[in-house]
Amino acid sequence: MRYTANFDSPINLYEAGDHARLRILLITGGWEVRRSFNQMGIHPGDRVRVLRRAPFGGPLEIDNRGTHVAVSKQLAQKIRVELLP
Amino acid sequence: MKIALVGQPNSGKSTLFNAVAGYRSLTSNFAGTTVEYTHGQARVGGAVLELVDLPGLYSLTPTSPVEATSREFLLAGSWDVIVNVVDASQLARSLELTLELLDLEAPLVVCLNMMDEAARKGMTIDSRALGTTLGVSVVEAIAARGRGIIETFRTAQGVGAAGSNRPRAFVYAPDAEVVIKQLAEKITSFSSSSASPETVNAASRAASSAASIAVAEAGVAAAPVFPPARFQALQWVQSDPRQIRREEPAIALVLEWGQAEIALRAGQPADAAISAARHAACLTLFERVARVARPRADWREQLDRLVMHPVWGYAVLLAVFLGFFRLVFDVGKLAEGRILAVFEALVALLAQHMNPQGALFAGVKGAVLGTAGAVAIVLPYLVPFLVGLAILEDIGYLSRVGYLMDAAMHRLGLHGTATLPVLVGYGCSVPAVMATRILTSRRDRFITAFLAVLVPCSARMTVIFALVGFYLGANYALGIYALNLLVVAVAGHLLARIWPEISPGMLMEVPAYRVPAPRVVALKTWWRLREFVVVAFPLLVVGSVVLSLVDFYGWQHGINTALSPLTALLGLPRSVGLTLIFGVLRKELSLLMLMQALGTTHVLGAMTAAQILIFTLFVTFYLPCMATLASMMRELGWRLTLAASGALLALAMVISLAARGAFFLF
Repeated sequence: MRYTANFDSPINLYEAGDHARLRILLITGGWEVRRSFNQMGIHPGDRVRVLRRAPFGGPLEIDNRGTHVAVSKQLAQKIRVELLP
Repeated sequence: MKIALVGQPNSGKSTLFNAVAGYRSLTSNFAGTTVEYTHGQARVGGAVLELVDLPGLYSLTPTSPVEATSREFLLAGSWDVIVNVVDASQLARSLELTLELLDLEAPLVVCLNMMDEAARKGMTIDSRALGTTLGVSVVEAIAARGRGIIETFRTAQGVGAAGSNRPRAFVYAPDAEVVIKQLAEKITSFSSSSASPETVNAASRAASSAASIAVAEAGVAAAPVFPPARFQALQWVQSDPRQIRREEPAIALVLEWGQAEIALRAGQPADAAISAARHAACLTLFERVARVARPRADWREQLDRLVMHPVWGYAVLLAVFLGFFRLVFDVGKLAEGRILAVFEALVALLAQHMNPQGALFAGVKGAVLGTAGAVAIVLPYLVPFLVGLAILEDIGYLSRVGYLMDAAMHRLGLHGTATLPVLVGYGCSVPAVMATRILTSRRDRFITAFLAVLVPCSARMTVIFALVGFYLGANYALGIYALNLLVVAVAGHLLARIWPEISPGMLMEVPAYRVPAPRVVALKTWWRLREFVVVAFPLLVVGSVVLSLVDFYGWQHGINTALSPLTALLGLPRSVGLTLIFGVLRKELSLLMLMQALGTTHVLGAMTAAQILIFTLFVTFYLPCMATLASMMRELGWRLTLAASGALLALAMVISLAARGAFFLF
């Protein structure tokens, strides 16, 4: 699957608001980061929803097709997303 | 026949396993690792099946040591059938592992577990269509309610007996397939010409099996090869190039060519391309075999709104843990006295039948009291604790704790998942150390265990409150707790500096709440308890016998003299030397021993306020008790245990000396 990411997208996953519906564009970072997300079934092109976030710079909880995943701040910042209407 | 149970975490593998394999099943470590697996036998339809429950793994390309070991086991091929347990309510994602397992081209049965959960989510799954598309047998199950379990194992038995029922490997995008095929050929020709030494390393083992393909093609032997060369090529294409360069420099060049080739055609890194292809295939497959209607309204969503709330979530967390500890320690205290009374009666009875002045009696008495101590820790405290822990774990609450505490734990160089062991440390260090097992990295386990041991357990709490709290005032006692918190924070910070983090942060599934199966809870408790008993019981009994003999032969003067440099340095009375040794054997006896050593219950008469404070500080921070050390050896190995002990001793010295200095100055 060829995927053309929108590199101009100014936001990463951590910057997206609560309850936002998003599409994942690109997972930056090295092999390990990519691998951990892919393992959890999270790939570029997936539509996810931010469910909630923990206070004090804690993790986000996202919903990816019914699978709930907690993503720490550092990792969320490595994901480029676009907001879906 | 040997059946390997493979599945992603929280897929209900263990429920399936525990439903047929009983209390006689064993937990063992994989050779040379601390990764555990459970194995046992089951009688299904007259045949005896050997079952292996592998630790859950998300994919065959490992990112944690636990996954790596499960993968090693699978690639070693010492099983007849794989049963892939799949959480039907997470079908699309779970199929990604299934497709990888297909690449092994080995007998496979898919168990679609948690069909009730899927129905609740509004999913209807055509398992027959899934089976035909994948080319494997698919069995529907609700393992928690005992449905479909026997059918799964019967099917597995049939598939394993036929042996020939080998599924076809999944075919990726044509672009990638071309490269994978070329790579598989290159690997084959390469490894037949090089004589790489046999190591336990999976890669080199695969290389040698690839070498045997070459042999097979040369017509010398025609045995089927495992794992298939195509599978190996796929695994290597997806692996970390840096790791390959480090571990398998000989093939690095070929591999980098392959990865670059795929990356060029796919427009993304090779591992991502393969994974994306698999992901897309799973989504297509899912659309074909499943229909999703509106999910039924679920109270669990509402519950999460409270439990994971930025404010109320923490209130719930506090309430849950306070309640948990109260329950465990209230129950424990009730039972402990009764158990000890029974053993004391036993000692009195022995005294009537033996010469109370003899060495033999002293030894036997030590053994009885040591057993009493062990039983009085294990039964009243550890059993309710382990049951509670297993329930919290199986409900799915621990992941929520990880979510809530991640930010705070980051300040200690840890992730949210490490919260539980540290909190448990306030109760008892032994289960706290055992609880570090839920962490995947060795580094996190070590730091967490160190901090958990540093936190004053309930035995040290008695010393703090009964000595400092009673003689110097509650504020001093609370001050020690505050100092301890500070030390924990600084130690966490320092350790994170010394052993920097490699894992890139927390990415953790938050599983749906589930009602724990009593059988699984009971078995988990039983296994954990059995380990404690095997490791700690002998130590406690032997330690107790030794102390009893020390007392009998009047060696305490020798020991006190030997320890006099330490006691003098700390400015403590010479007679407390033995107490410090006692504290290592049985923390809860420190106080009793101190009074015995001083020959008075009025400690303030024999020691100054400064001495009491220094003694308590030293006892709070120095070595953990014998049982804890034994658990640390078990979880971390002797090297790290030794390192931790040395660090703790040094820390206790520094803090006590600083306190002495402070008293001297002010």
